[in-house]
Amino acid sequence: MNDIHLIQEIERYLDGDMSVPEREAFDALRRNDPAIDRQVTEHRLLLQQMRANAARKDLLRRMDAIHTRAEVPVTAKPSAPVINIRSRRTWLNLAAAACIALVTSLATMAVMQKAVKNSSTAQYEDVRRVLNNMQRSQNALIRDIKSNNKAPLNPGTYGGTCFAISRNGYMVTNYHVIAGADSIYIQNNKGEAFKAVSIFEDVSSDLAVLRIADSTFRSAPLPYALKQQPIRPGEEVFSMGFPRDEIVYGKGYISAQTGFNGDTLAYQVSIPVNPGNSGAPLLDADGEVIGIITGKQSSSDGIAFAVKSGHLKRLLDELPKDKYAKRDLKQKSQLMGLNRVDQLKKLEDFVYMVKVYN
Amino acid sequence: MQIERDRELLLGLAANDDKSLEAIYLENFPAIARMILQHNGSEDDARDVFQESMIVLYEKVQEGNFILSSRLKTFLYAVCRRIWLKKLQQSAFQGPIYEELEETAAAEEALEAQVEKDQQFALMEEALGKMGEPCKTILEDYYVHGSSMQEIAERFGYTNAENAKNQKYKCLMRLKKLFFAQYK
Repeated sequence: MNDIHLIQEIERYLDGDMSVPEREAFDALRRNDPAIDRQVTEHRLLLQQMRANAARKDLLRRMDAIHTRAEVPVTAKPSAPVINIRSRRTWLNLAAAACIALVTSLATMAVMQKAVKNSSTAQYEDVRRVLNNMQRSQNALIRDIKSNNKAPLNPGTYGGTCFAISRNGYMVTNYHVIAGADSIYIQNNKGEAFKAVSIFEDVSSDLAVLRIADSTFRSAPLPYALKQQPIRPGEEVFSMGFPRDEIVYGKGYISAQTGFNGDTLAYQVSIPVNPGNSGAPLLDADGEVIGIITGKQSSSDGIAFAVKSGHLKRLLDELPKDKYAKRDLKQKSQLMGLNRVDQLKKLEDFVYMVKVYN
Repeated sequence: MQIERDRELLLGLAANDDKSLEAIYLENFPAIARMILQHNGSEDDARDVFQESMIVLYEKVQEGNFILSSRLKTFLYAVCRRIWLKKLQQSAFQGPIYEELEETAAAEEALEAQVEKDQQFALMEEALGKMGEPCKTILEDYYVHGSSMQEIAERFGYTNAENAKNQKYKCLMRLKKLFFAQYK
């Protein structure tokens, strides 16, 4: 009721039905209460618009009445319709032709894209390892003998490599290694196995961050650093991974600044990789991590791809700061200046085999 | 002088004088229709475009600050041409460009202002439509046609004018809500 009263007052005010003292009081009210002032403005605007709408519709109605008496020019008609029809038909034909062309080109594009996709899946190959049944039975046999082995009984369906990025059990590997995993175990070169969980996955760059489930896990200080600057082709690089149950060293060089199909997030690397190398760190001669090995081109040998470490850095920046200790990754690699054998000896403690069960 | 007569017609249009409207309509429509027909338009297109330009003109003169600087014919022609060109472009049709015609700045300006008016018109129509009957008619009767509350009460079967008045305020509040919900 109060609202109705207010509207009533506003109406009287706008219509000028108020006496002078009433009006002065209302003016004061408007000045003091912005809400009421707004109501007044809105009310006025609303009525204006309503009247404008009615006026416009009324005008249209009157014009329609007049229109019946308006003469349509005949002068233009004799020539215009001919041109009209012809041009309209031409346009119709053109439109039809354009439609056909559009459909054809779209169809071609679709077909081509599909073909490209097919061929690229054929050319690109993840290098995760499918552990076959035979191996599994062999391992099971061995395990029967050494019953105190810490590794789980089932050796896993897929395997890859990961490496530490902090002292408290954060690891980086490839997304495709752990995709669809039920449970993940990681195992170091000494044969110690740890349960791990995936805490961050980035499908577009094919990276994933794992954490060892045991929160009390502590490793020795990491010896390597993440390289920030991009690296030039020709630079010598090396890697350590688990294409088999033993850690394997590989050496090569950067061959291009972009990865598969011009992917700017990755390098092309000429290095021997085998299934199981997925997620292995790629280091330069100074022992700085410059990338993560993700896959290889199946059509030709010796062409592998690695996600750039700069991208990994961005990913790590997104991790929760309280849990993940960024400073565990050194600014300067401690592997610098050592010979390769010593570098590998220090590095191998931080590279793990990933076993995925699904 | 021709322009004097045009100004008088406009005064008549502003005052809702049917004779002026008719004179303007009948004198100017054929030229516009010819232009539209020559440029791939139909008779219906011609009517729509011309009436749209008349709305522009009408709402301009209603505001009271419209000063005719050229012949009325020229103004309407320029406005119609712009409207038609816009319609052609909207339908992705690359029509011929009419180079022979001089632009009038007034037409340009009027059309720019019209875009906003058209939006508000559409908003109000939508709000009125959403509100439904009998609210719509009550409000229009009272605020537009100036019917008294007594007449409205009789027409809609309210027992007395006071009841009708309350109903009217309720309707107005709903309309306000509907209209300003989108207005901002």
